[in-house]
Amino acid sequence: MKFYTILVFLFLSLISFAQQSNETIQFKLSFNHNSIAVGNKYFNHTTSDSISFDVIRFYISNIQFFQEEAFAFSLEKKHHLIDLGNPESLIINFDKNTKQNYNLIKFDLGIDSLTNVSGAFGGDLDPTNGMYWTWQSGYINFKLEGVTPSCPARKNFFQFHLGGYQAPFSMVQSIELVILDKKNIIIQLPIEQLLEKINLKETYEIMSPNQSSVNMAKLIASLFSIST
Amino acid sequence: MSLKNFFFLFLTISWFAFSSEQISYFNPPNHFPKPAYDFNSNRLTKEIKELGRVLFYDPVLSKDNTISCASCHSPYNAFAHTDHDLSHGINDQIGTRNAPPLFNLAWQKTFMWDGAINHLDMQALAPISHPKEMNENLKNVVKKLQNKRIYPSLFYQAFKDSLITGEHILKALAQFQLTLVSATSKYDDVQKGIAQFSHQEKKGYLLFQKNCNSCHTEPLFSNQKFANNGLPIDTTLNDFGKWMITKQSSDSLKFKIPSLRNLTYTHPYMHDGRFQKLNQVLNHYNKGIITSQNKFNDLEKSTVLTPNEKSDLIAFLLTLNDKKFVFDHKHQFPREILK
Repeated sequence: MKFYTILVFLFLSLISFAQQSNETIQFKLSFNHNSIAVGNKYFNHTTSDSISFDVIRFYISNIQFFQEEAFAFSLEKKHHLIDLGNPESLIINFDKNTKQNYNLIKFDLGIDSLTNVSGAFGGDLDPTNGMYWTWQSGYINFKLEGVTPSCPARKNFFQFHLGGYQAPFSMVQSIELVILDKKNIIIQLPIEQLLEKINLKETYEIMSPNQSSVNMAKLIASLFSIST
Repeated sequence: MSLKNFFFLFLTISWFAFSSEQISYFNPPNHFPKPAYDFNSNRLTKEIKELGRVLFYDPVLSKDNTISCASCHSPYNAFAHTDHDLSHGINDQIGTRNAPPLFNLAWQKTFMWDGAINHLDMQALAPISHPKEMNENLKNVVKKLQNKRIYPSLFYQAFKDSLITGEHILKALAQFQLTLVSATSKYDDVQKGIAQFSHQEKKGYLLFQKNCNSCHTEPLFSNQKFANNGLPIDTTLNDFGKWMITKQSSDSLKFKIPSLRNLTYTHPYMHDGRFQKLNQVLNHYNKGIITSQNKFNDLEKSTVLTPNEKSDLIAFLLTLNDKKFVFDHKHQFPREILK
């Protein structure tokens, strides 16, 4: 009897395995339609000088798929650290049941408040990733660092460490995007559009939770798009 | 015995072994409330807590390998730093606050004088990274530990993984600190019904309950809140306490209300260590309070104590000294592992 149960179980899991398809979400960080590489120089039209990036690193959480506004499925791994310096991290692979359809993706930019107050975690959330503040508790949800000659900071270095999980400066942002290509979802983040709105001659350092960091987080969230 | 029964027996035994292990390292008395720390997220084991002890005493956590946690949190001072008003760190630098004692941390919901840290696991990041304390970063600590002879095997014993991570370092340090429970003072013995206060201590206890207990609430002797206790601001430090973190004007000059346990071992007192003696502290509450915007309301009606009443109150406060805890070998330098 037991033997047959195991056999049936194996058979069922084989069938369900056959119905899985491999799909990917890919993040493309670009500047004037060029993919950004760490240290490369680009031309910043807003300030009419060169710009280079040392760090672009952020958290994407709670990825969920919807079909006509109805929930379809979500990814098991909750928090993904997307890091320009680690090309592997720009692609999220997932298996899905071929029967499940979707035409909308929802995710959060940043880490939710419960995770922020629940102690130490490993993997993408390990504080060694440089995405956790040390002088006060909380994850840095979005980090952008680089150099542009017209930036008045020391060594022309601009740095934005956006985080904060407590009201009134809670930073986490919900994003939803309509999906065009289901096999290979490409999510764009055009950094030049961010720098058109933030003048690096005036705003070049945000490193604690405050109104400016919330405003900038909202702006960044509005720039994500699915490429056609 | 069928396989199924055997399986259940095995589960029961392992559960029992598991929870009894937790109880033997963390066993507060009945008069203590439920701890705030979620032990399910970091199960106490002998190996992890012992690894935490080794890390606590190892100066490898600092940039130049000179400063350990115990440099400012000495076991013989109830894990504070007697005689130092402000904490001393790397390259003979001096910080801006008094190193608080470490005990009963499992009941604490926020950490540091200004509440900047929200979880015991994450607390160690602050001193490790502070340029005036250890001036190191966790990523580099991982690298140094991975290359130090003793650690890969200690981490393997603790976490079944010799690959060291930031998470495991923080959880081990938290476990050691969770086991620092001060619950064996004379006060505790009285609560357990195995000792009695003297006449003077009893009088002091009544004065305490009337004047101090609303903030320094029994049995932990802190209500874990923040208050402005009316200290004049030290203009050499300009420390505005919780405001420095929240930037909310209502938090200006508010500091964590400290526990009153182990006062004999933890002088000087206050967030900047400005008072050497308990008498000075009592004098402050009697007539030194500066009225300002955010002063804690309970201090409005502070009663003036007579010299005799002060002696009685101090006699009671000394019953909160926990000698057994302070001299407990379990918490001290791990001679068998570190040199």
